[in-house]
Amino acid sequence: MAEMRVQIVAPSGVIYDHRASMVSARAIDGDISILPNHTPIILPLTIHAVRIKRISIDAEDWVAVNGGVLEVRNNVCSIVADSAERARDIDIERAFEEKHRAEESMKRLSGIKANLEYKRASISLHKALNRINVSKNKRV
Amino acid sequence: MAESLQDIQKRIQSTRKTSNITKAMQMVSAAKLGKQEQLNKGFQVYSAKVREMVVHLAQTQLALLEDSDMIGTNSPSNIDFHDMLIERPVKKTGYIIISSDTGLAGAYNSSVIKTTIDMIQRDHQSPDEYIFMAIGRTAADFFKNRGMNIAYELDNLSDQPAFDEVRGIARQIVEMYKNEVFDEVYLCYNHHINTITFQYRAEKVLPLTDLDISEAEKLDFDTDYIYEPSKEEILDILLPQYAESLLYGAILDAKTAEHAARMTAMQGATDNAKQIIDDLSIKYNRARQAAITEEITEIIGGSEGLK
Repeated sequence: MAEMRVQIVAPSGVIYDHRASMVSARAIDGDISILPNHTPIILPLTIHAVRIKRISIDAEDWVAVNGGVLEVRNNVCSIVADSAERARDIDIERAFEEKHRAEESMKRLSGIKANLEYKRASISLHKALNRINVSKNKRV
Repeated sequence: MAESLQDIQKRIQSTRKTSNITKAMQMVSAAKLGKQEQLNKGFQVYSAKVREMVVHLAQTQLALLEDSDMIGTNSPSNIDFHDMLIERPVKKTGYIIISSDTGLAGAYNSSVIKTTIDMIQRDHQSPDEYIFMAIGRTAADFFKNRGMNIAYELDNLSDQPAFDEVRGIARQIVEMYKNEVFDEVYLCYNHHINTITFQYRAEKVLPLTDLDISEAEKLDFDTDYIYEPSKEEILDILLPQYAESLLYGAILDAKTAEHAARMTAMQGATDNAKQIIDDLSIKYNRARQAAITEEITEIIGGSEGLK
């Protein structure tokens, strides 16, 4: 079976490095799946889950990625994001806390929609929801 | 006898207590330094990756910039250079000074502040030409006390700063640069060389001029890349991320130097305390011996008198 290497890098180091048969992610203009031996490509991602189909085990790994850029070259798919967390590493309580906090400040700031802080709060809500969603797909 | 036995003993005790504290602080800093070095290692991978992508994507723009430099004419206007890459006439310079929040780190803070001030006095005539941004309370307080205005201030970074803590200031700086609050930005910090040495560094972060076209040629990318949606739009996302990673890298570096400096300073303090205790012990023993001798002489003298 064809395979490729998937590497996810964040400022805290290499988050994920495994062989895989498929990677699914969400680019800014829609979902994308990368298969092995893909032609070289660079594309930015949105705040969303990245799903990786592993080669050695019959399972999918979920990784929460906050934006970043995906690059495929020499059959290596690397994702460089300013933060990324594997499903098993996510602190679910903190994610809920962040969600709550973001919702609160959005409520407080609603009405002034163009507000930069409102935008910021909605981004952090988005991130928290993404992390909660990803952590539900933890492998046991 | 200049000092009584008790006085000397008290001094020995208090010095010993101080040395226990400095010793503990030294060990704490050593642990933090170890952790920080680990963090740096992880970050190296990330920054190398981001840089590689930026160099790759900006390759064509860089090549054109280089050509226009050589000819000495203005760059062709039909190409939309990214505003973070292009140099504009400098009216105002921004200086980001990275210092620590707390003291007891030897010459760490004073060296970064002093060297920066020297550099600014050398390069600028009037205070209108520069503006400060301070990371760490020591630098912020220093400039505030001297009535210099600070455009941005970031305090209370944790010992192992997370990327999220730094993103705010990085965004702000990129934003201010785009709004032409300043036309170039320097990062001033202490670079960690090893545990006992650090070196002052002033690096230009914006505009991003340290990208080199030869680097891209060395990497030798395939030509048939797909860019989704387009090179320019990816650069729009990637360049701020690159600037953020430069700043974060500098802060990590400075933090490492800070922990190392504090460790060395505390080691020095512990050594000095030990020296003082040794000296005082000798003094104490001498004084005790003198007291005993005196007593014996008195006893002998007394018994002589009884004969």
